[in-house]
Amino acid sequence: MLHLDYHNVLIQSILTERFSGAPPVNIDQVVSDFDGVIFHISTPETKSKILVSIQVKCYDELVTYGAQQVLEREYGQYIVEPESGYNFSVQVDLDNLPAEKEARVELIHKVALMKRNAMAAPFENAFDEFHTLQEEASKFTSEEAPQGIKEGGKVMAIHYREEEAIYIKASHDRVTVIFSTIFREETDRVFGKVFIQEFVDARRRAIQNAPQVLFRTDPPLELQGVPGVKDSGNGEIGYVTFVIFPRHLSKQRREEVISHIQTFRDYFHYHIKASKAYIHSRMRRRTADFLQVLRRARPENEEKERKTASGRTFKQGS
Amino acid sequence: MSIIQQQSIATLGDNWRTINIDLLDPESSSNFETTTLHPAFAPVSEDEVRTLGQQVRQLLRGGDAEGALKGALENAPYGGDNAVKDLHLQTVTEVLQGIKASEMTPMLQRIYGLDGGSDALDVLMKYLYKGMAASSAAPGKSSRGSTLTPQSTGAGFSQMGGRPGPPNENSGSAMSVLLSWHEKVVDVAGLGCVGRTMTDWRKV
Amino acid sequence: MSQSLRPYLQCVRSSLTSALCLSNFASQTSERHNVPEIEAQTSPEVLLTPLTVSRNENERVLIEPSINSVRISIKIKQADEIEHILVHKFTRFLTQRAEAFFILRRKPVKGYDISFLITNFHTEEMLKHKLVDFIIQFMEEVDKEISEMKLFLNARARFVAESFLTPFD
Repeated sequence: MLHLDYHNVLIQSILTERFSGAPPVNIDQVVSDFDGVIFHISTPETKSKILVSIQVKCYDELVTYGAQQVLEREYGQYIVEPESGYNFSVQVDLDNLPAEKEARVELIHKVALMKRNAMAAPFENAFDEFHTLQEEASKFTSEEAPQGIKEGGKVMAIHYREEEAIYIKASHDRVTVIFSTIFREETDRVFGKVFIQEFVDARRRAIQNAPQVLFRTDPPLELQGVPGVKDSGNGEIGYVTFVIFPRHLSKQRREEVISHIQTFRDYFHYHIKASKAYIHSRMRRRTADFLQVLRRARPENEEKERKTASGRTFKQGS
Repeated sequence: MSIIQQQSIATLGDNWRTINIDLLDPESSSNFETTTLHPAFAPVSEDEVRTLGQQVRQLLRGGDAEGALKGALENAPYGGDNAVKDLHLQTVTEVLQGIKASEMTPMLQRIYGLDGGSDALDVLMKYLYKGMAASSAAPGKSSRGSTLTPQSTGAGFSQMGGRPGPPNENSGSAMSVLLSWHEKVVDVAGLGCVGRTMTDWRKV
Repeated sequence: MSQSLRPYLQCVRSSLTSALCLSNFASQTSERHNVPEIEAQTSPEVLLTPLTVSRNENERVLIEPSINSVRISIKIKQADEIEHILVHKFTRFLTQRAEAFFILRRKPVKGYDISFLITNFHTEEMLKHKLVDFIIQFMEEVDKEISEMKLFLNARARFVAESFLTPFD
């Protein structure tokens, strides 16, 4: 359980069960995922037609970055009119499943990845933009490159949570992904700082080829002039920057990289909470130890066993 | 009725509910005059203590550490004000720091064997505690440490600002001198020393 | 045990042993009441000179004795922000369980991280030298626990960061 799954486990298990050939039943289940994403799995018409809908807070933003096209590419024939209250729906007909087992598993997996795919659009966009920019830039030497290429593409903002956002920006030699994080509590903030420091150091120490990780509490230069970026001034908001290098952006790796980077925020918070839980259990244990020591200070009610003159023993009530 | 009204209107601004009325009662135990517990001391002026300090330092420089220590302890300025007492504390601390660890126990045993030696060690014990309290009180007042609730630090992700850094080497080593003296005094004169430090109204 | 810790704890031990000489003493201000005089502060003649034992400016113990109660306050070492948070969390955890600890004060004295209040009723019920042992052991273990928790946190953070970044390698 070190890494988080990219797909939604509940959706996967429900669909796997349904696809296994079990008799069709009514389903009506709301499943929530990270970042306030909500799924609705239901069988509104007949038991054999499963409708899976997704609701994403920043769906409109994602659409402007091409989410619709990405989802159409991924789900094609399964797409139906979005269920009311949701952003996007697919419908799977149990009577009309692919014949091969692998294809079915593939389909289940694809549906379970719906959140990842919806969020992937801006990343794909940026990665494509990077390739275009790289090609253009190769025509010039670094000095005489036109302004547009030097500066790179526009910053794409995804406000995927109430107060936190992901910013993505393509340049000719890199793609920068910036997560804004917010910590309201001092404990979280200190723990978060310890973790982030290790992310920053990891590349220097062990994993040379990993993306560069940077951290600061004021908005980085890339975000200057981006609407909605604020500097809380008291260090509550932090900005974690991942600099993704061309070697991560190749066609073979991009799928994996997009999936992985998406899980950063939840992974990060998950481990902070896990650490807190562990420390709590440690304190509990240590407190029990202390109590044990203190209890030793209480003189025990000695077993008052006495012997009578004749040698019989008896106990005296205390 | 009207009196109560007048009263509450007149004193509405005051926090009269939180006034400790015991303090206003001359018969109350809170107003016990603790000066009646000990004889009055002759006042000691700053100059006298300074002269004494110089004499003690002279003895110390002259190699007579034992004489310096005895001189400093026998003439504790009970009657002085806080500034005078702090001045003498400095003298005593200096003497204590000027004595080698190996000489501590034999010296204490010699002093303890003398007439009134037990009293001298009681005074020494008072100075040891005062020394430890003094150097920890000064930095403690600068509004940091545990008086600060974590929520209010606002230090955020930024590098720690006013956090207590690594223990100050200086104060640490000064303390360890006092701590080892303390241990030796307890060894020689027993725990009663500590008890008398707490109960004696003649404060250094 | 580090070189300077031993004399520090030894000094606390002898000071505490001396201070824990308590007797029953009824309140002089409220009839038929029996309160810890060190907390009530209503009779100056039964309050004794407080003792401070300090190892350095960040670690010290304040012992406030009186005729029927002793208040012991400990300032725990906090070298950095992480230790500060961990100490705060731990002392909070403990004080919330003060009921079980009998002698633990629910709120530390100002300037200290945790306080204990031992009254004559405690010393009548419990063995004095064991109470002193408890305080000393507490001081030893708290330091150890805090630094262990800090090490754990760092180790976990390192492992977590590296395993997140490894798939990119």
